[in-house]
Amino acid sequence: MVRTIASRATSKRHAVHDEQDFKEGFVMIENGFNRRDFLKVLGWGGTAVALSGCGNTSIENGKETVVSYVEPTDYQIPSIGVYYNSTCAQCDAGCNIEGRVREGRVLKLEGNPASSINRGKMCGLGQAGVQAHYNPDRVTEPLLRAGTTTENITWEKALATINDKLNGLKGEEIAFLTGGVSGHVKVLLKNYLDVLGSKNHYAYEAVSPAVVRASNKKAYGVEMPRLHLDKAKVIVSFGADFLGAWVSPVHFSQQYAQFRKGNRPEGRGVLVQIESKMTLTGANADRWIPIRPGTEGILAMGIINALGVGVPADVAAAARDYTTDRVSKDTGVSAEQILGLTELLKARSPSLVLAGSAAEGYSHGSQNAAAIALLNQVLGNVGKTMDAPANVQFAQLTPTTGNSLALNDLNDVMAMGKLKVLFSYGVNPVYTAPDCLKLKDNLNKVPFKVALAHYLDETAMEADLVLPLDSALEDWGSSVPEYMPEPQLSIQQPLMENLYPNTRGVGDILLALLKQRHADQYKAYEDFYSYLRGAFVQNKAALGGAGADDDAFWNETLGKAMVKLPGTAGSLSGKPTVAGLSLPATKASEGAYPLRLIPSVSPSQRDGRHANLSWLQESPDPLTTVVWDSWVEIHPKTAAKLGIVEGDIVEVTSLSGSIKSQAYLFPGIHPDAVSMPLGYGHEAMGRYAKGTGANVFKILDPLFDKETGELAINETNVRISKTGKRVVIVKEEGPNGGSQLGRPKIAVKVSSDKVDLSKEV
Amino acid sequence: MHVGIVPVERLILFAGCLNVLLGEPLTMHRFLNLSILLAGLFVAVGSYATDAPQPITTADDLGPQIEQPIEFPHNRHAGLHNPADDADPSKPATGGMEINCMYCHTYARRSMVAGIPPLRKCIGCHQSIESVKESPRIKKLFEYWEAKKPIPWKKVHDLPDFVRFNHERHVQRFVFQQGKPVQEACGYCHGDVKTLVVGRRQKPLTMGWCAECHQKDHLVDATSTKTTHGPNDCFTCHK
Repeated sequence: MVRTIASRATSKRHAVHDEQDFKEGFVMIENGFNRRDFLKVLGWGGTAVALSGCGNTSIENGKETVVSYVEPTDYQIPSIGVYYNSTCAQCDAGCNIEGRVREGRVLKLEGNPASSINRGKMCGLGQAGVQAHYNPDRVTEPLLRAGTTTENITWEKALATINDKLNGLKGEEIAFLTGGVSGHVKVLLKNYLDVLGSKNHYAYEAVSPAVVRASNKKAYGVEMPRLHLDKAKVIVSFGADFLGAWVSPVHFSQQYAQFRKGNRPEGRGVLVQIESKMTLTGANADRWIPIRPGTEGILAMGIINALGVGVPADVAAAARDYTTDRVSKDTGVSAEQILGLTELLKARSPSLVLAGSAAEGYSHGSQNAAAIALLNQVLGNVGKTMDAPANVQFAQLTPTTGNSLALNDLNDVMAMGKLKVLFSYGVNPVYTAPDCLKLKDNLNKVPFKVALAHYLDETAMEADLVLPLDSALEDWGSSVPEYMPEPQLSIQQPLMENLYPNTRGVGDILLALLKQRHADQYKAYEDFYSYLRGAFVQNKAALGGAGADDDAFWNETLGKAMVKLPGTAGSLSGKPTVAGLSLPATKASEGAYPLRLIPSVSPSQRDGRHANLSWLQESPDPLTTVVWDSWVEIHPKTAAKLGIVEGDIVEVTSLSGSIKSQAYLFPGIHPDAVSMPLGYGHEAMGRYAKGTGANVFKILDPLFDKETGELAINETNVRISKTGKRVVIVKEEGPNGGSQLGRPKIAVKVSSDKVDLSKEV
Repeated sequence: MHVGIVPVERLILFAGCLNVLLGEPLTMHRFLNLSILLAGLFVAVGSYATDAPQPITTADDLGPQIEQPIEFPHNRHAGLHNPADDADPSKPATGGMEINCMYCHTYARRSMVAGIPPLRKCIGCHQSIESVKESPRIKKLFEYWEAKKPIPWKKVHDLPDFVRFNHERHVQRFVFQQGKPVQEACGYCHGDVKTLVVGRRQKPLTMGWCAECHQKDHLVDATSTKTTHGPNDCFTCHK
């Protein structure tokens, strides 16, 4: 019998034998054996071991159990994956996904090719959905807090406790704080609030395009018009990071890919990105124009003025004061660039001008957005590269979008001590509210707080009752995304059995609460699944299943996990108006706080709701390549003035507080600004989130957009001071982005046909 | 032809020859040396034997005897039929039923894993086999079925987590392309299962052992005279 070295070397048992042989050998030497004998004995030992044979020690024969199916389904074969369609819940874009399921466990998510939103593609945030599901820090049992003690309780007790606390309360003493909601969960939520006689549904999103929504509503008549990036010849984006984190990035990325193709009838499109801090979209732009923070509207007016012909008389009159010289002085954009951009827009039509989060986060954010929308209208793009979304039937399912005004309102109500019971779901306001709002103190004025939570995040830590939720891959649900090319209703279906027996779906919890009040109305629905199925089947005629058998319709719908919604074509009102437009002159930088703080929304961290997914912490930021920490982006010139080098731990101080982080020198930022990413610096929420980086939300000043009341997220001024400590930044790229693996950078100034790569790399 | 002799044995062989040539008197030492030489030769000759896979009837590397929740008699199901049983059907059979391995291990030809048969498969036949219904093993089987609980079988042929063995490739190759009898093809790795009661590891299932067979010439299919080796990439098994 032949045994090989490989099989011997891997065995620990062999190693023990050899050791014994050695010991025996030494004994023999003492007894007068010579070295040759010793070797022979060793040889015997080796042969004996070779012949004895044994398994590998990592093998667990007789220990591990193999469990077979009791009754298998036809298509379930062990080790072969089956794909089920569902809907991504990682952000509000609502991409349609399919999950690979093997032996009852979901392993990988992909985009659903039949989707008009993401057309088979998916982003990194979505991919990390499996980690949200398998996360080791999920809440698994209902928790009740009494004073300083926390105890696990049963669901019966949890629901009974809620019922007790609600008894005798007036409607206005009860409130629900949620993120954006849509679909049948929204319907149940509304029904429950109606039953309680409460009108207090606060839909809160810490980072949302709420100002742009309001400005769009004014300019175009709809909050979120449909964009056709692929039809534009030029896109001028004022800080809309549509490739990274804005509205529906996977959808826009595909439109953008078409836009960049040279063989389309319009030719290859040109992208100009105007913003104070470079985003992923800015990094992809043909021209990235850094602008003095907050002057985006002024630049838009300057371009309108420079256009000259084709501008309606009233608009031209309003723009007359925005001469190129003045605009150049205010914005820091050179006159040459302003005129060049104007020429580009004149020469290439249709174009598309977008206002994004970088332009709206100021106390005059609405004015900025209005001026940018005005430029888009003046250029005649409405109806060409932008049109109206369809008016969807079943308005009760359409999304209630969140904004930050909702939190201010709730905060005021809580401060007055008017609330007795607060439910929260899908939000983490204790983390995302600026310190100056004193939200945590006000929250503690509410006697009973119920958090529906996946993790023990900062808000759940303050709650009196924590209800553990199913993960998005275990739960039933339906959703209508805010931005969708065609009206559709997406279904979220479980991709696997619950990992933990005592988590519940949000729909199931709402249904159970409704049953407490109106048992007879909801008795037909055993659980949220039967409610959802019932809702679809009852409306099958409208959902494209007229005349179909109930089961057949439902099975087909579930298989696709989406249905087209009936709707009528909408229309945009395109008449430009300048009424009420006023753009403030730029403020001179204030002495004590000379720099503008621009919190950045990264494609993977967003507002910090997924900070506990280690894949997202591990994947480098697209621009700085920093991992597992936050950083302070500073322009090299500004840093030189302050004597800061990369890795210096600096203190960023605003009127409202201060935080510390590592300095990162980056030319992709305006010299008057510094930037820090949102989403880091959690104090709770699990092992990966807690203590990683610093929380920028904390030091934001209480400054709000004057029209919408939204938090002006880019309005805070700060000063930077060195702490004297220095670290090595953990990042993918070489020092200062200047070299790769210590070697000189690949030449970028020589045309590619002239580069001798052997010399350059 | 590949001589499957490995360096350690070769060294021993060399040492043995050297001693014989030096012509020392036959002492205990000499006896030891001779034995080493013989052992080395034995190993060398064994490796020459043939290109065919190893005989399935030998238990070259017997694994531990593993206690299973039900003592499943492979010999009764897959064993050879005893013609004497036909004479009097009323007497309990002494032979087996020659059931194809893949009748129960149905995933082997379609999937990486052979799969333990689903409980429903056992019940499918046994609900209409009255003669053994009262036997303790079958009673236990029906207890599991009525509770709708899977039987917690213990693993017999475990591999380390870094090894990816694919049943489908081997079954397709040997059974469907080369037309080998199923019991022979399965037996290359699992031994002569039709003689066993509960399964027990018969072969080493180590890398060297796998590679040994992968290095041999195998016919491409049942009719061809062309031969080929098994894959030799690390990635084939380690991924």
